Amino acid sequence: MLRLITPIIFIIFGGIYLILTFNMTRAKIGDPNAPLYFPALIGIFLVIISIVYFVQEWKQRKETVEEVKQLFKGRTPFLIIASLVLIFIYSFLFERIGFLYSTILFLTGLLFVVNGRKQWIKNILIAVIFSFVAWYSFAELLDVSLP
Amino acid sequence: MGVDYQYVIEGFITAIQPANILWVIIGGFLGTVVGMLPGLGPATAVAVLIPVTFGMEPTSALILMAAIYYGAMYGGSRSSILLNTPGDGSAIAAAFDGYPMTKKGQAGQALTISAIASLIGGLFAIIGFIILAKPLAAFALKFGPAEYFLLFLFTLSAIVSLSIGNMVKGFISMSIGLILSTVGVDLQSGVHRFTFNIPQLSEGIDFLIVIIGIYAVGEVFYNYMSLDRIKKEKKKVGTKWITKEQWKQSKWPIIRNGPIGFLIGVLPGAGGSIASMLSYTTEKQLSKHPEKFGKGAIEGLAAPESSNNAASVGAFIPLLTMGVPGSGTTAVILGAVVMLGLKPGPLLFENNPEMVWTLVDSMFIGNIFLVILNILLVGLLVRILDTPPKILYPLILVLAFIGTYTLSYSVIDFYILVIFGVIGLMMKLLNFPVAPLILAIIVGSDMEQSFRKSLVAHDSFVNVLVASPVTIALVILTILSICYPFFIGWLRRRKQSRA
Repeated sequence: MLRLITPIIFIIFGGIYLILTFNMTRAKIGDPNAPLYFPALIGIFLVIISIVYFVQEWKQRKETVEEVKQLFKGRTPFLIIASLVLIFIYSFLFERIGFLYSTILFLTGLLFVVNGRKQWIKNILIAVIFSFVAWYSFAELLDVSLP
Repeated sequence: MGVDYQYVIEGFITAIQPANILWVIIGGFLGTVVGMLPGLGPATAVAVLIPVTFGMEPTSALILMAAIYYGAMYGGSRSSILLNTPGDGSAIAAAFDGYPMTKKGQAGQALTISAIASLIGGLFAIIGFIILAKPLAAFALKFGPAEYFLLFLFTLSAIVSLSIGNMVKGFISMSIGLILSTVGVDLQSGVHRFTFNIPQLSEGIDFLIVIIGIYAVGEVFYNYMSLDRIKKEKKKVGTKWITKEQWKQSKWPIIRNGPIGFLIGVLPGAGGSIASMLSYTTEKQLSKHPEKFGKGAIEGLAAPESSNNAASVGAFIPLLTMGVPGSGTTAVILGAVVMLGLKPGPLLFENNPEMVWTLVDSMFIGNIFLVILNILLVGLLVRILDTPPKILYPLILVLAFIGTYTLSYSVIDFYILVIFGVIGLMMKLLNFPVAPLILAIIVGSDMEQSFRKSLVAHDSFVNVLVASPVTIALVILTILSICYPFFIGWLRRRKQSRA
């Protein structure tokens, strides 16, 4: 039955999109409805095609979704969640402590998570060198301003 | 013939300026390295390296991006041949006979023939480009909004029906892309659409963030799944010199499949994956020893390699002459080109001919450089391939964040990036093709504008469809492209029931 969740999400999404489309402010110049034609067409198309998708999945509803199961195998869930947490910390620190320090911290953290704790010297070295090279090439060579 | 020899030569002179040669070399090398990473393909390479082009002069930026693109095509074949891990669709066919060759200890020869085949395929395609581009651009100059709208529609339906897997999922993916492109202030009326009073949304969702999110963050997350499964195998590369016998076997497949690949690349929606698969099956059917295919037949590697590189050059034709990308990767390049303030399309040939021809000539130089790189430095490249992905994936993630930040200098985009990364991961897990979404989000706005303009010009939707011979042809092509998978399915069922 898990298979049916995705098509239902798309049907609901398409429905909400259509409702929003028809409640949109109308244009003051030209054809008042002009801004909605295109979104309305896509919305209707999405709902119809999602219903087709639902029917397809309904026919094989008893089969399990193998692909999604892989996501919960081994280290994968830990890797993804840890990466997400590090990304949030990185986003929080990025403008506060600057590009260089926050990137060194972020990359060290990521390497510890992904590459493992045993190679800690390598992890820290790579993080520091890569962050510095990135900072130097963007800020100095390419004139991109980084905090 | 509509070839401007003068511009071709002038472009060549610009292309051999030291700075531009440097960009070709840097781009080709970086592209090769990212393309070589198991599981990552040209789209990721271009997406991650887009920020490098900021602040560059448009011509150089274009040269660099193209070099990254075909560099990644070369690199993708390396990982297919050596590790059996193709980075994207266009490199799959290279693994069929490339990897068996590696297992037989002929990795060096496999890499050499793949590089030579790619070069010859690429050169064919560049000649094809020089001949075809100008007339096509002149033809596209006559296109009005109705023609453009239907051209976009055809491209989208072609990419959906040709993308491997489920067509329904492809259309859903396309619809989501189009929906994302409608967010923001409407260009014609100034109406705020789907912005929910969030000021950041009034300019719309930046498609480059979506691209980087899906192709870089999503791909890295997806590759986490196979992280611990990648085995370290010590491979004997063997000699890189191919024998006379091997050259005799692969000579004609290479020459035959270059033009095939080029023409497929020119078609919207097709691109390298279809080109290389088609070349592989054609050669197998032509071969006197089809049973050798899949067991390390050198011609089975040479043919798809020639054709996929030719297709990658051919794909620049619709991109530059009409502003319509034919594949996910060229859509990413289009996104980056638009960022640079250029508008690809027939007018590009009128207004900036020197830029177009410099690009084309730089591809010529780039392909030669890449062959030298790939043959002489085989040892170094193999060693780069030995760099554990466990180190490279985090670096790709960091590059994705730097790239995103340089787009708008706002950390809020980091969250949008991650959201699209997770969406990209889910799409891959649920087998939704990504290319229709990327293509749709990039052409969506232009498609809507031309749709509305054509409605105004032709009063009703039916009139838009029959506005000119070109629109009628495009409508027929669109219908054919949608029916094509059903037709193939029907053929297959009939074959099965006979057998």
